[in-house]
Amino acid sequence: MWLSILGLILGLSLGLLTDIRIPPEYANYLSIAVLAALDTLFGGIRAHLQQVYDDKVFVSGFFFNILLAAGLAFLGVHLGVDLYLAAIFAFGVRLFQNIAVIRRILLSKWTEKKSVRESV
Amino acid sequence: MKKKVISRFTMILFVIGLMTAIQFNTVNEPDSRDTRDVWEIRQELAREKQLHSELLSEIGTLDETLSKYEKAANDSPEQVLKETVEVLRQDAGLTEITGPGLEVHIEPSQEAIVTGQNIEQISPALLIRFVNEINRFKGIELSIDGKRVINTSPIRDINGRTAINGKPIGTPPFKMKIAAGTLDNAEKLSNHLKASPILDNFYIDNLSVNVMEPQEEITVEGYDGELELEYLEAAEEE
Repeated sequence: MWLSILGLILGLSLGLLTDIRIPPEYANYLSIAVLAALDTLFGGIRAHLQQVYDDKVFVSGFFFNILLAAGLAFLGVHLGVDLYLAAIFAFGVRLFQNIAVIRRILLSKWTEKKSVRESV
Repeated sequence: MKKKVISRFTMILFVIGLMTAIQFNTVNEPDSRDTRDVWEIRQELAREKQLHSELLSEIGTLDETLSKYEKAANDSPEQVLKETVEVLRQDAGLTEITGPGLEVHIEPSQEAIVTGQNIEQISPALLIRFVNEINRFKGIELSIDGKRVINTSPIRDINGRTAINGKPIGTPPFKMKIAAGTLDNAEKLSNHLKASPILDNFYIDNLSVNVMEPQEEITVEGYDGELELEYLEAAEEE
């Protein structure tokens, strides 16, 4: 678990220190991509906790969701419909649901442990 | 198996971190960057230096006045005050000024006379442009058809006639008198006006501009109206 957080810190510091910038017109796409990535991440954590984690689903979902979200936003810009709102809505709702499920699982695990300790 | 999961999560988190950092960098880019090149900065510096020297010379003049006051405080304070008032009236354009300068004659163009066209009045827009052109030179006093142009003089159309200070100016020909302070300045102004592209604009309106040779003595009339300063108030004492 700590290794994954190290990965996050490494990515953040690499991005901040190298001062990479993308053209401001593409900032919208990147923000949606970040949202999609976060959604996939929490979906993966949830699946792992529920013991249904599948490596292929996780990795393919990550890249596919990012591309789909950015593509939807791109299409929306060219059609004059704010399609990126659809992506934000879908990912936002799923993000909350996933986090809620993770919280429940962790809570039930914690109470189980506690009751086991008390019975002992 | 467990190791594989952790390595996957690490990879994904690395990508997320990288994307977030890039997005952060992009969004936090400063809005306006200083894009002036060296030359523009030099010009800015030159402007500020000029302002600096102007302020210094003003301080010098004020110091001089102050020492005059102090010297004359014992014998005749009114005399110094009167002198100051006179200088201020002169600066405001309330007094007649005599000095080196030049005359500019605005006349109907030859073509208009020959073809018998109606001579229209000069338009306010053209006159304003011309006055602005003259005002490129500092320290000059100007009167148009006997009306002194001061800082607050309006040039505008009143009931179909071009007016300065609320009084209409005549149809061409009429004279403009310009006092330039020194003969040298008058020479420069004369040359500048002769070469100025604004003369072409007069030609479109069937007018021609004759810039006369600079003279040693020229008299510019004083402003004869009341100065109305509605929105100016004396500053409170600190």
